[in-house]
Amino acid sequence: MFDLEKAILHWRKTLNKNDALEDGYKEELESHLRDKVEHLRDLGFSEIEAFEEAVKKIGEAPSIGSEYFKTDTRHISGRPSWQKSRWLPPLFSNYLKIGLRKIKRQKIYSLINIAGLAVGLACCAVIIFYVKNELSYDSFHKDADRIYRVAVHRINIVGEHWFVATPAPLGPELMRSYPQVEQAVRVVPPYENASHVLVVQGEKCFFENRVWFADEDIFVLFRMPFIQGNPRTALTHPNTVVITEGMAKKYFGEEAALGKTLQIEIDYDTGIVELQDYEVTGIIKNAPANTHLKYDMFLSMETMRSNLADFEENWLNPKAKYTYVKLAPSTDVADFEEQIQRISQTVLQKYSEKYNRKMDLYELFLQPVTKIHMFSHYMREIDPPGNWYYLYIYSIIAFLILLIGCMNFINLSAALSTTRTKEVGLRKVVGAQRRQLVWQFLGESFLITFLAFILAFGLTSLLLVPFNQMAGTELTLSGLAQPVVLLSLLGLLLFVSIGSGIYPALILTGFSPVSVLQGKLAPTSRGSGVQKILVVGQFAISIFLVICALTVFKQLNFMKGRALGFDLKQKLVLRVKSNMEHLRRDYEAIKNDFLQNPSITGATVSSSVPGDRTNSGYYMTPRMEDFKGAPFIKVITMDYDFIPEYGIEMIAGRRFQRGAGNDEREGYLINLAAVKDLGFSSPEEALGKNFMASYHRINKRIIGITDDFHYRGMQEMVEPLVMDIENSLFEAITLSIRVENMNNLMRFIRSTWDEHFPGVPFEYSFLDESFEREYRYEEQMGRLLGIITSLGLFIACLGLFGLASFVARSRIKEIGIRKVLGASTTDIVTMLSKRFVLLILISVLIASPIAWYSINKWLQDFAYRIDIGLFVFFVAAVGALVIALATVSIQGIRAAVTNPVNSLRNE
Amino acid sequence: MVSKNLMAASTKPLILTILDRGEMYGYQIIQNVIQLSGGTLEWSEGMLYPVLHRMEKENFIRSQWKISTNGRRRKYYHLTELGKKELEKERNQWMKVHKMLSKLWALTPSFD
Repeated sequence: MFDLEKAILHWRKTLNKNDALEDGYKEELESHLRDKVEHLRDLGFSEIEAFEEAVKKIGEAPSIGSEYFKTDTRHISGRPSWQKSRWLPPLFSNYLKIGLRKIKRQKIYSLINIAGLAVGLACCAVIIFYVKNELSYDSFHKDADRIYRVAVHRINIVGEHWFVATPAPLGPELMRSYPQVEQAVRVVPPYENASHVLVVQGEKCFFENRVWFADEDIFVLFRMPFIQGNPRTALTHPNTVVITEGMAKKYFGEEAALGKTLQIEIDYDTGIVELQDYEVTGIIKNAPANTHLKYDMFLSMETMRSNLADFEENWLNPKAKYTYVKLAPSTDVADFEEQIQRISQTVLQKYSEKYNRKMDLYELFLQPVTKIHMFSHYMREIDPPGNWYYLYIYSIIAFLILLIGCMNFINLSAALSTTRTKEVGLRKVVGAQRRQLVWQFLGESFLITFLAFILAFGLTSLLLVPFNQMAGTELTLSGLAQPVVLLSLLGLLLFVSIGSGIYPALILTGFSPVSVLQGKLAPTSRGSGVQKILVVGQFAISIFLVICALTVFKQLNFMKGRALGFDLKQKLVLRVKSNMEHLRRDYEAIKNDFLQNPSITGATVSSSVPGDRTNSGYYMTPRMEDFKGAPFIKVITMDYDFIPEYGIEMIAGRRFQRGAGNDEREGYLINLAAVKDLGFSSPEEALGKNFMASYHRINKRIIGITDDFHYRGMQEMVEPLVMDIENSLFEAITLSIRVENMNNLMRFIRSTWDEHFPGVPFEYSFLDESFEREYRYEEQMGRLLGIITSLGLFIACLGLFGLASFVARSRIKEIGIRKVLGASTTDIVTMLSKRFVLLILISVLIASPIAWYSINKWLQDFAYRIDIGLFVFFVAAVGALVIALATVSIQGIRAAVTNPVNSLRNE
Repeated sequence: MVSKNLMAASTKPLILTILDRGEMYGYQIIQNVIQLSGGTLEWSEGMLYPVLHRMEKENFIRSQWKISTNGRRRKYYHLTELGKKELEKERNQWMKVHKMLSKLWALTPSFD
């Protein structure tokens, strides 16, 4: 039965939905409704029909309400406050207000929170930039993925080698015979004096070591922007040179360099070495840091051809070097490699023709140019390769730092949010739905996270400056500009904000408002299980990092302090890079001249000094003329004074001595490590045995065995070494000096030098300083690790600080009561600290075994390593404990000092 | 069917004119409009009332609750002095526009 009154009453209720409809309006509308119903009844409608028609005609309550609202308000948008906005989620402005207010109120904690995360992000970012940079070498060339270097895999009687020196005619042959080759360019170092090319311009003369011959197409293949000159014609003619802007400034100052002349001395190993004139035909930008091919000058290949008649025909000269090719798009590399084996055959043939014996294998293969820096460890490389392993470690460290920062952030946010249970309760009472609250908390954490990200952005740009200095790189923020990076940043932002907002969002909002407002659910002073896990996690990671850092330092110190086996203090080394015939002929006279000065206590001449990375060696065979299977042993050729000057110990036999015999024609010295390599089981057994060296083919015998000394730096095991009295390879003069009156001494040395080697640049170094540079990589890593570790620990402590203070605050009443009951400050501090101490101990227990395992693995790379003592672990654990205790105590003391009257006032 | 704009613009003069004839309540006004326009002006009925409310705020009309003999309460509206003046103004404006359009369209004014 249709009840009209009831229906009308029900309809009235729907009008209540609309807040703008005051009672008077609703009256009027109802009145209208009744009139309409009457009218329709008169027209013959039934009651129901009339009612429904009338309701329909009146319209929807909300829209009517809005119309009323529009007339009453001065609001520009005319949107009543109860109506949802079209774009933003409801209550957005309220959330924003509350969020900002929350930040302002809890300034300190918010700051700690944001700062911790920002620092973690910034460190991680810097490391990642560095890693990316290392991996991006040479990728800036146009079509870098189609550019390759040709390398050789070879087996002959002396062994199996891979190296990157390729014959000179290879490049043009590839261009000629293979359509897939778009470009083939050779970069060839000066044959004999690549590391010391004398360059003269007027009064200025220097030795340069980054001078190359290059085919004229090099500027087409590689991206080397020209500042002046025409890239297409710059290297077409003989005796032309293209220099970098740095070189232009060095030799020509502010003047224009283009068109001017440089005098350059190249040793082609043809006997005549002289300065030739070169015209500067181009100026290019300095070589960037992230390329494997570092250059200062390029000479035209035409010059090489005009000085060496058979340059383009000589397939067997080992001194020609690097061939680069660019392949057509979608060329199958493996396929191409097979095709070029035809050339390998040509080389094999020519080899057997010339030397009358066969090479077992000669294979050409391709290396992508972008992978050269990181992965190419073959012989004859230009630049020491990057260290893949260290990059790996750096990446892990970056990740760990990020982890600490995020964990800290999540933990602290969760702790802070427990103060807001009342707010949640209240909101629920006035009608907030759970979903809205969830969005509110998530939104707030997003806001804070976003702020942290912005701060991190600023911090990163600040950090990059000192980092670039330390690592020798040129990193910038431009690395951020790629979509992949931005996307992952966004992902991280979301992850962290959700992570930190999850606890309040889901757990807090689940509480029943009544119990919260009644105060039954006070902020938890114990901390939930999750919080504890996070604290333990942060500290475990930090402790792990501390242990690793301490170990790295220990290892470094050990390496430096370890007996090197020779004297390196107060040794001044002079390098003779030009006019070496004089040195090799008259070295005794030259030494005498230096010894005239009382501050110079000794002098010796040799082919290399300890610390040089020599590659010179002899093949040593006991059988005359038969070098099959003969071991290749590194060699230092020296004079009679080398052994005593460097304080090298003899184990068996005797050292080289003037007059003791005909040592030049008859004697070798070998070191302890060489004993085994030459096939003997003891030094005594090796003594007196005959050997012939491939270099000079003279039969000599071993007259003495020395103790091992690190002639090649600390990282490597001492390799076998043979020492020979032989002067044709001399290049270095070592002076043992007394460090007194340095000014006069240096002047004396300089003038003596000028007498013997006029016009040759005077270059000297101190042996102990050179050795320091050996450890560059390890030093860098140690420093980086140290900084990062401190930061990680700092962040973790920040988190602990915030957490502790928060806990102290929430237990303020309890503390107040305890004080009233007679507890002392110590008691209270102890009470607060107990819980944290336990957590720290757990962290130590977790971190230690992992650290142990990692350190062990790292140390295996080193020939000489320290023992992993428990000391390090102990230090780390105690250190962490002390810092943690200090942090917590500060809060404890503060809480304990508060007048209980204040904290209990509100009870 | 008349466009929304025209309907909105004509609301005020219509109401003023109708109320000029005498006091009326909401439903009556609507019925009058339907009659006078022969059904071409169809107002959403609920929407009338906010308009009346606004016009009352602007002091063109004034309202009064009255109880009828059968106990029904109704809100009656009447024109004020200001309202009468406003009506004059509206009439003048509309006539101006009407004259111009008529000339342009060369229509002879006639009322159906």
